[in-house]
Amino acid sequence: MDRRSFIRKGFIYSALSGLYSSAIGRIPLLSAQRPATQATGNYDLVAVRGGEPVAMYRRAMQEMGGIQRFVKRGQRVVVKPNIGWDVPPERAGNTNPDLIGAIVKDCLDAGASRVFVFDNTCDNWQRCYQNSGIEDAVRRAGGQIVPGNLERYYHDVEIPGARRLKTAKVHEQILEADVFINVPVLKHHGSTTVTVAMKNLMGVVWDRRFWHRNDLHQCIADFCLYRKPDLNIVDAYLVMTQNGPRGTSTADLTLRKSLLVSTDIVAIDAASTLIFGTQPENIGHIKIASEMNIGQMNLDRLNIKRVAI
Amino acid sequence: MKLRHLKKIRIALSLAIFLFLLIFFLGIESGLLNPVSNFLLRLQLIPSILRFLALFFTISGLGFLLVLGLTFLFGRVYCSSICPMGTLQDMIIALARPFRKKKNRKFTYSGNQKNILRYSVLGATIVFWFFGSLFLVNLLDPYSNFGKISVSFFQPAFIFLNNKLAFFLERFHIYSVAPLEVKTLPLYVIMVSATIFLTIGIMSVLRGRLFCNTLCPAGAMLSLVAHKQYYKITFNDGACTLCGKCERVCKAECLNSRTKVIDHSRCVSCFNCFTACTNDALFYSHQKAVPAMVATNTPAASPGKRQFLLAMAGGALSIPLLKNVSLAQGYSKPGLVPTGTASPVTPPGAISYEHFTSNCIACYLCVGACPKNVIVPSFFDYGLNGFMQPKLDYHRSFCNFDCVKCTEVCPTGAITKQTPEEKQKIQIGVARFMQESCIVTIDRTDCGACSEHCPTKAVHMVEWEGLRLPEVTPDLCVGCGACEYACPTEPYKAIYVESNLVHLEARPIEESDGPQQQVLDDFPF
Repeated sequence: MDRRSFIRKGFIYSALSGLYSSAIGRIPLLSAQRPATQATGNYDLVAVRGGEPVAMYRRAMQEMGGIQRFVKRGQRVVVKPNIGWDVPPERAGNTNPDLIGAIVKDCLDAGASRVFVFDNTCDNWQRCYQNSGIEDAVRRAGGQIVPGNLERYYHDVEIPGARRLKTAKVHEQILEADVFINVPVLKHHGSTTVTVAMKNLMGVVWDRRFWHRNDLHQCIADFCLYRKPDLNIVDAYLVMTQNGPRGTSTADLTLRKSLLVSTDIVAIDAASTLIFGTQPENIGHIKIASEMNIGQMNLDRLNIKRVAI
Repeated sequence: MKLRHLKKIRIALSLAIFLFLLIFFLGIESGLLNPVSNFLLRLQLIPSILRFLALFFTISGLGFLLVLGLTFLFGRVYCSSICPMGTLQDMIIALARPFRKKKNRKFTYSGNQKNILRYSVLGATIVFWFFGSLFLVNLLDPYSNFGKISVSFFQPAFIFLNNKLAFFLERFHIYSVAPLEVKTLPLYVIMVSATIFLTIGIMSVLRGRLFCNTLCPAGAMLSLVAHKQYYKITFNDGACTLCGKCERVCKAECLNSRTKVIDHSRCVSCFNCFTACTNDALFYSHQKAVPAMVATNTPAASPGKRQFLLAMAGGALSIPLLKNVSLAQGYSKPGLVPTGTASPVTPPGAISYEHFTSNCIACYLCVGACPKNVIVPSFFDYGLNGFMQPKLDYHRSFCNFDCVKCTEVCPTGAITKQTPEEKQKIQIGVARFMQESCIVTIDRTDCGACSEHCPTKAVHMVEWEGLRLPEVTPDLCVGCGACEYACPTEPYKAIYVESNLVHLEARPIEESDGPQQQVLDDFPF
């Protein structure tokens, strides 16, 4: 496809999809607002194991009270997966594309006006978006995958209460979204041991080097003071247990078949760390975030729903 | 077919070829258009000859034979149709025309063939090349200069407009136009490109295709063939009314309407004369049909073989000098800079410093095509020998592990074609870690940016005083520079890639049996 036809088609498709989604949203009959079948247990954390990513996600959301608890009609949603690397889905260096697709679709079904997906990638952004399968999944689900490759998308914000990271340049989608859903993939990381929900937020800022230069663990914790995601969903289906965060081959992966959902970013990181196979106390940023009262790392104090499917 | 239509065909063809090549240089990816552009690249004279030799007589380097054959049959059709710099000059001439005084718009025959100049340039170019330096090619080759100008001016303009459109559409939440990162080239590159652009531009505004018949080595090479061309543009004495219209439109200033002499060695086969002639007094004819009178009247039919040979000898004398300069600047940098490679890192597929510098004509197609913007033109990093040739700049970006874009576009074979699997094993340099500069050692905080970005985990983290410190396994390293780029220390990086003068093979990543199966029996919490 050449550029011109690409632009033309893009125009038509986006116009059509815009029309389509706004029409669907307005006609009550079509917007499929199913009656709540969910058991609305008010859990701090839901953990599911033994299924495929999308099935586990559906079950977890059912336990969480449905996506409608988090996404209201007409709201603007941003979904932040990990799309950092130019690797195919089977390498699990990025969040599972089917999972992202299912979340986007859920949000739209719940009446979200728009659902945006982006990441400030490490490898070339277009290759990452494409080869991770996430661009395609988002488009098919009716969401919009937006660029994060230029500094102009990032705007200065102050982070009150931060110890090291007092200011940052944050992507405009985060600034403008009503609902922020964080969807990391659980992976090993060379220096922070694990990378989960808190570390995934490094992909919404422009200057990551500052974090690395100024006490990485403290900066990771600090950023949570700016805006905590409304919902965190951890993809722990295929877990990279060595050579992270990029991985070198599928030999770096362990099949764990689990998925976690929580509104508490520290709790979900702590639980993920245990699934990864180490103690949350060993992870600098989890410990710091807990000390700063960003969330609860002591899982005994939480109301956790555990499901096996 | 009326010969007067040839001009229209030439214009259409030259514009089409120009656009196809421009698309390539703008970095536009298209499965449909790029193969055509690729084919047209193979027809570029000097790149094609270099490719033929660099890749050991490859068929894909035979484009030059086609060009030489075409020239032998019909003259320098290449210069008016295939050469993008020729078309660019024609555009400049056409654009400048309305702004010029009427009397300055027409061309007049120039009896001076400038044989000494043009064959000296060609001779010197060949001698330099023979001794391993493409300095003159990089400076004078029309295709290479078209590339420099495109990447320096046309691509930034294109990116600017593309981004304007992208940002405009984004206001309506339409994200179908991808915003592109501006490729900021070093100032000296812009200056050199601007100088070349201005020089050729002014020459063409004032004197038509003067560049093609003085400084252009490809033009000179073709004029040696065109001198013997089979079908020549010839006057029909009976029909000619000596009106002089043909001479006034002759951009090469090679047609004398009074004596009815055409210097075919300078004629760029633009066919303007056919269209200008209202009496159809010009036609293509086999050389034997040329009246004897015209042949004897040809002012300087000698192709300047003597000057050519003289120039070759002269050029040869200057070689030792050139070599010394390049060695001093390219290979060794005495005195230790805190970090940074001693010689520039060459792209994967370049085989070696030697192979790359002796085959790259600095057309910057790879610079324009690199999606990571890591390939940047150098100035004298490769010495005078490799003037302006591109290198990998890891302060700007790093080489994407799975990307082979540059190896696919290089027209001369300076960067040989690689599959992603092949490329992932090429070691273009090796990472070196300077512990005394590392954040972890100095600030005693975790960092690991280098290891995070490493695609082979040649750079990995090891336990060190309760923290994690980078360590390099050299044989796993491919030299992609991700670590150097990511390293946050200033002003010098704590990890950098030292270039391999000869590319080596990195130890491949071990074959994988797939993920381990350790599905949770129960939650560990």
